[in-house]
Amino acid sequence: MALEFRYSDKNPSHPISFIAFQAMHTRIEILLTGVEQSVGRKLAATIEQEVKSMERRFNCHDERSPLSVINLRAAGEAVEVGDDMFMALELCEAFRRTTAGCFDISTDTAVAGQCSYLLDAKRHTVRFQREGVRLDMGGFAKGYALERVRQIIADAGVETALMNFGNSSVASIGHHPYGEWWAVGVEHTLERGQMACEVHLRSSAMSVSGRSTDGRYHIINPSTGGTVAAEELILVEGRSALIAEVLSTALYAAPKTLRADIMSRYEGYKATEIYCRKGGGVELREIGNK
Amino acid sequence: MNRKEFLSDCSRMGFAGIALSLFPWLESCTEKAQQELSGERARIGIIGTGSRGLFHVQHLLQMPNVDVVALCDNYRPHLEDAAQYYPDAKLYDDYRRLLDDKNVQGVIITTPLYLHGRMTLDALSAGKRVFCEKSMAFTLDEALEVYNRRKELGGVLLIGQQRLFDPKYIKAMQMIHQGVIGDVVGVRNYWYRNNNWRREVPSPELERHINWRLYSEYSRGLMTELACHQLQNGSWAMGMLPEQVMGSGHLVHWTNEDERDVYDTVSAIFTYPNGVNMTFESIISNKHYGMGEQILGTKGTIDLVTAMHYTDEPAPKGSGMDQLIAQIESGIMSNSVFAGTSWAAETATLAPGIPIMPNVKVVSGESSVGAEADGSKELLEAFIHAVITGKQPEKVLEESYYATQFALLADMAMHENKILRLDDKYKVPYQPLKMR
Repeated sequence: MALEFRYSDKNPSHPISFIAFQAMHTRIEILLTGVEQSVGRKLAATIEQEVKSMERRFNCHDERSPLSVINLRAAGEAVEVGDDMFMALELCEAFRRTTAGCFDISTDTAVAGQCSYLLDAKRHTVRFQREGVRLDMGGFAKGYALERVRQIIADAGVETALMNFGNSSVASIGHHPYGEWWAVGVEHTLERGQMACEVHLRSSAMSVSGRSTDGRYHIINPSTGGTVAAEELILVEGRSALIAEVLSTALYAAPKTLRADIMSRYEGYKATEIYCRKGGGVELREIGNK
Repeated sequence: MNRKEFLSDCSRMGFAGIALSLFPWLESCTEKAQQELSGERARIGIIGTGSRGLFHVQHLLQMPNVDVVALCDNYRPHLEDAAQYYPDAKLYDDYRRLLDDKNVQGVIITTPLYLHGRMTLDALSAGKRVFCEKSMAFTLDEALEVYNRRKELGGVLLIGQQRLFDPKYIKAMQMIHQGVIGDVVGVRNYWYRNNNWRREVPSPELERHINWRLYSEYSRGLMTELACHQLQNGSWAMGMLPEQVMGSGHLVHWTNEDERDVYDTVSAIFTYPNGVNMTFESIISNKHYGMGEQILGTKGTIDLVTAMHYTDEPAPKGSGMDQLIAQIESGIMSNSVFAGTSWAAETATLAPGIPIMPNVKVVSGESSVGAEADGSKELLEAFIHAVITGKQPEKVLEESYYATQFALLADMAMHENKILRLDDKYKVPYQPLKMR
């Protein structure tokens, strides 16, 4: 899908730039208000370029990507990586530790409590702990890219924006021009088009994990290697789009008994289990911070 | 809303450039029309300075080209209330003396219904330019007499049907005439309140003077006080007049408050030549549904009160972003449903209503005095313009005339328990307000 850019000044007080493109196996939509058309158009090109660049770097299915090089060689040798990749791997390891292993970019069955790769900060290298390790950074990359896009937009001086990465990850700058927040409805899983709950974003982000809208279970349980078959949705809200993304994935994969423990490490983030019932009913259970 | 905002709304709605051909009665709202006035001022007398009269005073005070030079009311406290705003105005307790006042160019009549016809006739005969509150008259014959007198004398007469000047109604009707909701197949109007409709009375002998709305000697009750506003919706939307009306009215709840004899519960059905029905229902002992006016079409619905368009054929959307864009373009905020587990192109979203224009102020219909941003001010401005220029705005008088006639006819249908048609002798030339 080609880059889509639309500009509307129907409301002269709040002209809108709308940007959409396909990347990271999803549709990315960005709405900016209060910028001139030329600025919006330029941002559209910059953002698409940046996201696609990240997609290339973190795509384990592209054999030319830096991540594929790691997957191919790191079991046998320490592979030197760029700053960006090194920092990403550091972050992923921090997330693994702080989510009781429930967020893990290793796609093999992890050894409990252990990281599957070693990082050497001096040499900027990564080496796998054993044969058969393969890293998939898809879950990380989307949140990371969203965070990066938010930064690009903020650096351009935009004060009002909403970024939607495939409906499951949404981040905002400022608030709706006619409200105190951006109101985003989370869709009911059984009654399409109905709203299960509403999230208010104000310079904050949200992420939702659960079954795909086509009914597939796709989140991997790091401890078993199989897909997680939970029926509830996990909604996480907080300042960072990346952390919200990581937490929603980790909490969905985590046993229910572990979820509150995980959340206790993330001050300022709110997580909610959403149980959708037939006929449109909804039960919301907040996962408590200790 | 001031003129600038009104014109800005019109402009945003996309019809500023063609407004005059589409909405000739709005001519006075244009900048060009205002320039025509070139510093001229209208000298106005107000007959009836009760709550509705004072409501208009608040708007008149904002208009730079108006001098209120005379005030009249036979109830002294009301007269003194209004005199506070216009200490230099002459005060009268007999409207005929005010009509004799040569300094008065135009009069605003805000008196009980049973006086509308007589006062309007006298004012027209005295050469005054007249704005009279709705309904136009107390009987079918009197309304016709007023209409014919105006025509005969060629003066200015505007009736307080302010929806014709309300941008959201204008925009909605334009959409309807363009076929946005398909063929019009139904018109629903309702007006619910939960109060006894009484005003405080300082002493018992003033009961009927102040609470005239409740007594059939002075008022036709809910049909002339409320329905009259809404009955023009069907004609405006379809460009034709009802063929017949049936109805049922009763005094159901407020039976112990006073000696009232107007209904507190009414339902009426107006049937158009093409078989389409327009309904009006009013109950003043339950207010849950408030005020509603809906035009139902084969492809969708327009809610005139909230200025929302609901389609019967919602287009599938990938996400709520398009909806969000439409909201910002329209200057409003509501939630957008789009977050979920993962994006799928076929995911349908809710088909919520789409606002037809920005910054809509929804009127609840609870006040029996008047509401801001309902076209009242624009209507009054049109009158002031007409007072200065002597030009009668096109088409609106006929619309007001028929709104009154059908309100009165429905009231008769209820009392006689009959299906009634408007006799040919009451028919005046009618040009539909079509705005393609």
